[in-house]
Amino acid sequence: MPPKPHRVLLDRVSGYADEAAAYMRRRRAARKPFARLYYAGGRAEDHATDSSAGGELFVAAGRLIEVAGKGS
Amino acid sequence: MPDDDIAEQISPAAAEGALAYLTEMSPDLRGAAILARDGGVLAGSGDAERWRDDAAALFEIADRAGGEPVEQVHVGTEQGEVFALRHAGLAAIAVTERFALSSLTFFDLRSILRDLAAGGDGRAGEARPDAA
Repeated sequence: MPPKPHRVLLDRVSGYADEAAAYMRRRRAARKPFARLYYAGGRAEDHATDSSAGGELFVAAGRLIEVAGKGS
Repeated sequence: MPDDDIAEQISPAAAEGALAYLTEMSPDLRGAAILARDGGVLAGSGDAERWRDDAAALFEIADRAGGEPVEQVHVGTEQGEVFALRHAGLAAIAVTERFALSSLTFFDLRSILRDLAAGGDGRAGEARPDAA
């Protein structure tokens, strides 16, 4: 006997939700710290954590995170 | 009108309103500040002096890194994310939880700065109660 139509729909929605949850879990696990700068005209630059500018940007960002923490 | 003139006309009350609106709109937001072109804090959550100094340091490093004035900065760390944006002679800094959506956060920051620069209270996206 074929499944009822609403069962098919529910299974499909649950499948998509499971896929999305797994994608988010992988993204959280894989995402590394980054520093990205955008300039007028659309130019963008990434700075690695071990570069000189990257290191300074992370220190400055860390201070701002600390200020925001104090503010909340 | 030059950006300098615009930035000088922003009242702290309007900036405070814009900051409150930003906080309302962004569930991931931990803290934020709106700064004038001279780096002075027009509105900020918490220690204004720290926001001024630390935001100036971030922009200074970012400008130096690319050899030209930066427009947007996005730094993601294990502890949270930092968004900084310059627009119309003003600047906005926001600190969020990790994995905040960057496009939305930058959109919100740009939207409040654009509205402030146009003489509004930063709530351009909201239906005004006095609008008929």
